[in-house]
Amino acid sequence: MKSISLYEEKGSMLNRLGPESKILYIIAALLSPMLAGTKWVGFGFIICSVILLVQSRVIKKTIPILGVSGFILLTVVIIQGLFREGNVTPVLSLGKVIFYQEGLLFAWGIVINVLNILLCFCVLILTTKPSDMVENFVRHGFSPRLGYAVISVFQIIPQMTETMATITDAQRSRGMETEGNLMVRIKAFIPLISPVVMSSLINTKERALALEVRGFNATNKKTFLNDQKRNAADRYIEWSLIVVMILALVWRILKWQVL
Amino acid sequence: MSNTTRKLWTLKFNTATWVLIPAAIGINYLGKLFAGVLKLPLWLDSIGTCLAAVLAGPIAGAICGAVNNIIYGLTMDPISTIYALTNIAIGLVVGILAYKGFMDKFGKCILTGIIAGCVAVLVSTPLNMIFWGGTTGNVWGDAAYAWSIAHNMPALLASGIDEIIVDLPDKIAVMLIVFAITKSLPKSLTALYRSGDTVESLD
Amino acid sequence: MAGIIVKNIKYKYPATDRLALDDISFTVEPGEFIGIIGRNGSGKSTLCQAIAGLVPNFYKGAYGGSILVDDLVVKDTEISDLCKRVGIVFQNPFNQVTGSKMTVYEEIAFGLENLGIPKPEMIQRIDDAMELLDISRFKDRNPFDLSGGQMQRMAIASIIAMKPDVMILDEPTSQLDPQGREEVFQAVHKLSQQGITIFMVEHNMEKIAEYSSRVILLDDGKLVALDTPGKIFSRMDLPEYGVTEPAFTTICKGLHLKCKNTDEYPVTLKEAEEVFRVYQSQKEENRNG
Repeated sequence: MKSISLYEEKGSMLNRLGPESKILYIIAALLSPMLAGTKWVGFGFIICSVILLVQSRVIKKTIPILGVSGFILLTVVIIQGLFREGNVTPVLSLGKVIFYQEGLLFAWGIVINVLNILLCFCVLILTTKPSDMVENFVRHGFSPRLGYAVISVFQIIPQMTETMATITDAQRSRGMETEGNLMVRIKAFIPLISPVVMSSLINTKERALALEVRGFNATNKKTFLNDQKRNAADRYIEWSLIVVMILALVWRILKWQVL
Repeated sequence: MSNTTRKLWTLKFNTATWVLIPAAIGINYLGKLFAGVLKLPLWLDSIGTCLAAVLAGPIAGAICGAVNNIIYGLTMDPISTIYALTNIAIGLVVGILAYKGFMDKFGKCILTGIIAGCVAVLVSTPLNMIFWGGTTGNVWGDAAYAWSIAHNMPALLASGIDEIIVDLPDKIAVMLIVFAITKSLPKSLTALYRSGDTVESLD
Repeated sequence: MAGIIVKNIKYKYPATDRLALDDISFTVEPGEFIGIIGRNGSGKSTLCQAIAGLVPNFYKGAYGGSILVDDLVVKDTEISDLCKRVGIVFQNPFNQVTGSKMTVYEEIAFGLENLGIPKPEMIQRIDDAMELLDISRFKDRNPFDLSGGQMQRMAIASIIAMKPDVMILDEPTSQLDPQGREEVFQAVHKLSQQGITIFMVEHNMEKIAEYSSRVILLDDGKLVALDTPGKIFSRMDLPEYGVTEPAFTTICKGLHLKCKNTDEYPVTLKEAEEVFRVYQSQKEENRNG
């Protein structure tokens, strides 16, 4: 049974840290460039994330994630390089197609920003078990019912994907066409999605009954079978990240004062 | 599904609603998968969110939209996390409109789709500007963006056009599908998500 | 150990006109095993869910009368409190998997975490429950990777770990293959020796007759009879209620072979064997005499 999570336990340092540190890392990586007002801070965080990911031996798993957005980034570079308002300085020409410096610089800023977001998220998602993260949130006071809704998605989606192949085959054998012109394909959509929705809703009712009688709505404080994922190092890391963000702000203020 | 015994802004969900939310996210995901398998030019990835909004209210729809994108962000595409704002807005709007009876008739349902599409554009366009500089990654939409910029339209407007081409047909299609589904559901399933009901006495 | 007092229970599901439960009253002593039989739609599941408090607190609807589990009034008790006393297992094993846990062990812990049971006691209870249901070897497997029978035993273990005084089994084997059914009935056998009060809805009449101290016959939401299996299955009007008796009882009815010194037909295998032995020896006497 696959989970949709990309997490893998590799016994690395990042695996041993609590999810809170990694979430704070993301906040630091996203806020610091904004606070400091310069793209170089974002670039620095990208380098830092790559080092962390290599150290945790999960750098290869970033490729599918980068791939999703990579294509979009390419289109951004092309479109902004060619068409951005204020493009006056040509820098590269391929026949009649001219790329301008202003557009390319603007696109470069976007690429840095997006890469930073993707990589700092990877630091979290490739090294953290989803249930550890959700459990810690519940420990800190999040509603356990919301925690349930979040964590069960990780298994519901693979479950439903498995039924998809069955449904498609069943409907095809009943004579439903799935290939052909647009109208044919549009008409095929509802008979494919309806059985899934129907059975999901029926299962929802039965599952809700089963959860109720396992104390789902109990108001007392929950206990946990698993131990909390937290390390002695977590404190230091969390404080260091806060310091980094404050430094970024200080840098920005100093720059203003100099000007 | 307009029903005045249900409180519109209830924060206290019953168990059935908490189980509906992950199921709705699964339906979102399958909608997207089937659209891909059938090579349809639409996302169709918010059927579940809108279904949850119609059955259980705007807050449920909003939570569904938020959790949907947070999980996409944690498993496939981190940028999706920020677009949770769009899906939250869609969940809220569809939930409110459904409560006011907009999903009871075919014509009003198309109107819901148009409104939801416009809301999606209003929320997504600024996000597109901030993160991608205005484009969306969709071939047709981006072509329109490039065309608009080349004709000296302001970037924000070009980005809005990009998003409308992508979102409006998709949301109208989604609302029609949700309409078809909810009309065929037995009352025993739709009654589950109302949390305002009380036990009557037969004594 | 809990005794149940059901007094004049009436219930209508929301947006329906028909009474699903129509003025039912009975008392059950602690430790009894009560079989519940009747045709589809007779109210068996509704009665089960009424004892567990899901009717009316989950469905809402219209409710009259009262059910007492020891000192607790079911209608006025939150399901999250009542579930500490009354457990219920449903037909479909798949829909009783929470979906939020990656191993069988954690899945069984789910209810205990909700109830706030301290960790050492949690571990003890889970180990005991898995031992009882013979699923200890699956503890690290993903719940969705189990067979139907294994999943249903996990569902029973999850409820048993909560240590209820009353256990309700609503058609626990209907959706299982023959091997799964056999596994679950073995589990039921072990449960019946634990001393808790048990209610079981089943279509397998041989098992109902074998385990029940008394049997409830329902029809159209009404209580037709509550009596020992012998008396219930000896009734000649069972077909009117959409119910058949155990196979050997049917044979004995056809041959007019009642149990010695009673007015009842045999309902268990042992009783039937005894009756046939008597019948055979009588025939031999007649032949020789």
